[in-house]
Amino acid sequence: MPEAVTDERQFRRSDHCSIGVELELQVVRARDFDLSRDAADLIDRLEKRTLSGAVKPEITEGMIELNTSIHDRHATLLDELRSMRDAVVEEAGILNLYVVGGGSHPFHDWTERRITPSERFNALFERYGFLAKQFTVFGQHAHVGCRDGDEAVYLVHMLTRYVPHFIALSASSPYYQGEDTAFQSSRLTAVSAFPLAGHMPFVADWAAFLEYYETMRGFGIVQSMKDFYWDIRPKPEYGTIEIRVCDTPLAVERAAQLATYAQVLAAFHLAERPSAPSRAAYLVNAYNRFEACRYGFRGEMVEPYAARKKRIGDDILETLAMLAPHAKALGAATVLDALADLVRHGRSDADWQRAQRGKAGALEDVVRESAARWAGGRADGP
Amino acid sequence: MQFGYLPQFPPALTQPILFGALLAVGLLVGEAARRYASLPRITGYVLAGILLGPRVSGLLGPDALEAARVLVDLSIGLIVFELGFRFDLAWLKRNRWLFVAAIAESVLCFLAIHFALLYLGFQALHAASAAAIGTATSPAVVMLVAHDQRAEGQITERMLLFTAINSIFAYVGLTLLLPLLRLEHAVNWVHAVLHPVYLLVGSVLVGFIACVVMLGLARWLGKREDRQFVLLVALVVLTVGAARALNLSVMVALVVLGMLARNLDRRHVLMPLRAGHGGQLFFVILFVLTGASLEFDALATASFAVAGFITARFLGKTVAIYAFSRATGLRKRSAGLLSVALLPMSGLAVVMLHDAQSLVPGLRQELAAVVMASIALLELAGPVATQLALRRAGETRPEPRDA
Repeated sequence: MPEAVTDERQFRRSDHCSIGVELELQVVRARDFDLSRDAADLIDRLEKRTLSGAVKPEITEGMIELNTSIHDRHATLLDELRSMRDAVVEEAGILNLYVVGGGSHPFHDWTERRITPSERFNALFERYGFLAKQFTVFGQHAHVGCRDGDEAVYLVHMLTRYVPHFIALSASSPYYQGEDTAFQSSRLTAVSAFPLAGHMPFVADWAAFLEYYETMRGFGIVQSMKDFYWDIRPKPEYGTIEIRVCDTPLAVERAAQLATYAQVLAAFHLAERPSAPSRAAYLVNAYNRFEACRYGFRGEMVEPYAARKKRIGDDILETLAMLAPHAKALGAATVLDALADLVRHGRSDADWQRAQRGKAGALEDVVRESAARWAGGRADGP
Repeated sequence: MQFGYLPQFPPALTQPILFGALLAVGLLVGEAARRYASLPRITGYVLAGILLGPRVSGLLGPDALEAARVLVDLSIGLIVFELGFRFDLAWLKRNRWLFVAAIAESVLCFLAIHFALLYLGFQALHAASAAAIGTATSPAVVMLVAHDQRAEGQITERMLLFTAINSIFAYVGLTLLLPLLRLEHAVNWVHAVLHPVYLLVGSVLVGFIACVVMLGLARWLGKREDRQFVLLVALVVLTVGAARALNLSVMVALVVLGMLARNLDRRHVLMPLRAGHGGQLFFVILFVLTGASLEFDALATASFAVAGFITARFLGKTVAIYAFSRATGLRKRSAGLLSVALLPMSGLAVVMLHDAQSLVPGLRQELAAVVMASIALLELAGPVATQLALRRAGETRPEPRDA
């Protein structure tokens, strides 16, 4: 990610529809597949290598975050994600650790988690107490570059309608604290507990957004834009909008596909401006979001611009078909085909995890098989 | 006799009373050591053992110690099994230097003690066998401190791995020295050679058979932690019993069982091992009884030799760990902490020493006393060292507050 500009009210101009990815990952012990406390040692080793992106600590000690650099096309993003994945798997192997995708660790006990020692994380723990430890969940954040703040505000409004798509396509947290939640994605409930979770208010443009922000700052409710834990938020210092509802998928290939889907959606909306943002998108948001978390592709959603109910899977397939010309222009036709296949076969990462449980019997096996999937067939996976 | 239904006075100290007292005193002294002196619980258990033992109160006499032998064996069996179960060949494959470092740690430690004892005027073969015994870090101490402090991290994992390797090194080393020692005492050379072969091959075989049985039964039982735990205890007890009955090494059979169970479990039928409250019980028994059997005699008579033994042992371990710290991916500071963590010596060494003495009556009393006194000292100081190292490494968790 680029250097942040100092005044966060200034929207940094980005290349049109550039993309970047942040992935929060689980660092587990090879011995019992529970979350480790070794993220700091792993990051230490990774810092000695020259990586194109960045690796950072996260709130508790068994988490790391990978940040890619900025890309114009899916192919280069995937290359970078793969090379970062290889480096992480290799260094983790030296320390007898595995790195795993998935939105939640299936059986860790949140009371056992330890806050990563740093001023920022200690402050979060001080303020949020148990919520901070329960925030040991793993998401993918996809960034899409915007040319200015008005574009960003427009895109946040328009993409809100697709929140259930991103949830269903990435869902990989069926287990939580050792139990099957019956959800496809249980992770988002951990985010909802925070007071500043939710969505951006229905503002008309960047100037109106800044007015809202200044008001909230004046009340002393937020200190910076980082304090908003919204599903989709503008990120002025990067010049992007950030989609934050995805679970971290089980493999980097899916992560690159999801970011590319966001890219093509943005390109479509900016090029065609099919409609003006509607407040209705936010009225149906909580319902759609729940359906996607609970049932994935099989859930129902209300399409706010057509005012009718649909299966989420069907809505994704229709959207993918509609996006085809823009996908082609961005060299992403095969990417959208892969996502369509995923929907048609109806086998999300969460379904795959449940199948592993059924096959092998224990949640430890789910983590081991997930680690093997993350390693992508590398010899130093489990 | 109207009062015939009353017991004689004073009532007899039956085994259950002694055993209950052992647990209660061990528990209380252990807890007191932690609360009032910030010492590890184990040090408290050992102190309780010394208090109850023949040298102080005499409540636990040689008979009681002999009667409790099965409990000690079982406790050591469970600990050594877990040590072996943590031995991950896949890790050594990914981090080959780690294996080299662990072997170097054993070899350098052995050589350091050996030369120190030679310098102190002991005979070469005897010095070598004492050095082999000294190479082993106490599996029980490092395992209990790790459990007790809920330690997790790179230093903890390496401490356990190095302990597994140096314990095996020590036992195999000592076993290979046996024929030479026995030849010295004019035993027929055929038997002198056959005996170590029988010991090593036999113990490995017992461990292997137990492992095959365990994997087969675990597969049939399915993935349920409670059932698998009972299966585990059953097989550990059986293996201990079989090894004893066949005059084989309990330690080798169990560590082999643990290692094979981890590394041969291709279908992943075994659940990861989690010690419950039951584990704590065994630890109390083990360390109280170890405390009761400690001998400090040589501390007065040969303090110089004891100091030399302990110093050489520590230096040997430290030099090897520092030399390979970079290659194995360990920070310099962590290398120092790992060396300190590997200090404890204990029960296992006592057993090896007794075995060696019974086979080689001529093993000089004086040297045995030096080793015994070193064990006694490190039994008390070792847990403190390990706990300190793991705490400094930031791998422990604070105790839950006392209610």
